[in-house]
Amino acid sequence: MWYNPETVNIERNLVEYCLTGKNKGIPGASAEGLKQYRQLLRNNIASILENAFPITNAALSTEKWELLLDKFHSQHAAQTPQIWKLPLEFVNFCSENRFSEKMELPFLNDLLKFEWVEIEVHTMQNIYPEPYEKQGNIASGQFIVNPEYQITRLEFPVHIYSAKASVAHKGEYFLLTYRTPVEYEVRFMDLAPLHVYYFNKLINEQCTADKIIDEVLKTSGQRLNIQELRNNLLDFIITLLKEKVLLGYKHLYHN
Amino acid sequence: MDSIQTGIGFRREIADDFFGQSVLDPDFIELAPENWVGLGGYWGDIFKKATKTYPVILHGLSLSIGSPEEPDWNFLKHVKEMIEELHIKIYSEHLSFAKMDNAHLYDLLPIPFRKDAVRHVVKRIQQVQDFLGMQLTLENVSYYTPVAAEMEEADFINEIVEQSGCGLLLDVNNVYVNANNHGYNAREFIDKMLLGSVNYIHMAGHLQLSPDLIIDTHGEKIIDPVYDLFDYTAGKMKPVPVLLERDFNFPESEELAGEMKRLKEISTKNWRDYVVQS
Repeated sequence: MWYNPETVNIERNLVEYCLTGKNKGIPGASAEGLKQYRQLLRNNIASILENAFPITNAALSTEKWELLLDKFHSQHAAQTPQIWKLPLEFVNFCSENRFSEKMELPFLNDLLKFEWVEIEVHTMQNIYPEPYEKQGNIASGQFIVNPEYQITRLEFPVHIYSAKASVAHKGEYFLLTYRTPVEYEVRFMDLAPLHVYYFNKLINEQCTADKIIDEVLKTSGQRLNIQELRNNLLDFIITLLKEKVLLGYKHLYHN
Repeated sequence: MDSIQTGIGFRREIADDFFGQSVLDPDFIELAPENWVGLGGYWGDIFKKATKTYPVILHGLSLSIGSPEEPDWNFLKHVKEMIEELHIKIYSEHLSFAKMDNAHLYDLLPIPFRKDAVRHVVKRIQQVQDFLGMQLTLENVSYYTPVAAEMEEADFINEIVEQSGCGLLLDVNNVYVNANNHGYNAREFIDKMLLGSVNYIHMAGHLQLSPDLIIDTHGEKIIDPVYDLFDYTAGKMKPVPVLLERDFNFPESEELAGEMKRLKEISTKNWRDYVVQS
């Protein structure tokens, strides 16, 4: 650094004024000009967050939304050089500062997560899937997943009900968000906890449907209705295939 | 330069008007790396299509050459990769600061016009040029208040350009805005600039809030006095690429095409002889 300490302080004071409105002394500066900078900086943040979170913005009163923006603008040290990624920092900032509790907005964290995950999946870098077959045996085949997805755990089902209505349905919800190949359409799927278990087995452990059923029966002591369990799992796999969450079947290589 | 080149900032809002039955047919486009690095999906494809269709000039937003802290070398790695991949000839940034204590501000704040700031910025430019292995081109920014100035803006810019060897992105609208806001003569300011170091010109619209306050919004059409100032400037220098900057409040693309046409006419009037000779 080749600045004199005095010049650094001047720059720091200018920034502090822009973020907090506190003027610690900026020699030669005009009050009107400083006011413009403070406004411009805040408008940039407001604009990016209002575009990223239209549902949250609409669900909150103007006072509460503006208060969140003020807090974020004045207290948060933004880390990303890419402003379109700033909404993620806002999600984390709101969660870490417990605004959900302080402002009596129980759905706030989940609603922000829900809106951000759509942007995140829409813009995520392309991940190319392994080669796959379109035809296969649904019970004994292994599957190739569309890799452009995220599973989000929610306490309030803001993906099903309006934000305020979701409060009456507090529980454990799982939202699968994925991007279709080619069209790049972001789609959502509500997953029951059992389906998250199946999904994990199918994708991360590369289990076949038959193997999953065997495992479930072993751990449950075979007290379950096998046919019902099997039909439920196969229906789930069919839905995942139809909705392009699963792209197809793993190649079976023969020597 | 072997032809008159007029370009436009490639923005998501007008992306559709560049392809197919294109309304906009620029000689080049300008991209901000910050808006495109790491993007996949639909916009990743649009980026690939745009950069395959048009020559590109990069215009960064986050370098913050006037910050006390080190540049973000990690992000500059991505910029460097983009420069290499797209065979970029001009990477421009702003002579301002947009970061303090490692927090991004997402707007351009004025560096105090002081000798120690010249020294600091020159060293930073040299570091960045060494890192990228190419010349950096810096834009004179608009500003709405002087900040602890100890020297004239023109001298500040010139000393930095001279000592660092960087290029100048001459934003003609910013000269007009600053001349209005700070009460100096825009043509005299242009006369003082090292026009031989200019690599690139920006033209844009602005918003006049009061007689002595103009905000550089990039959200309005270019006004006649700014076209006149460009005409004056172009008459004093060799041809460089000229860009229409529009970031907000987008009109029909026909209107943007009309502005680019006018920029090309002024460029051609002033630079025809250079281009014919080469």
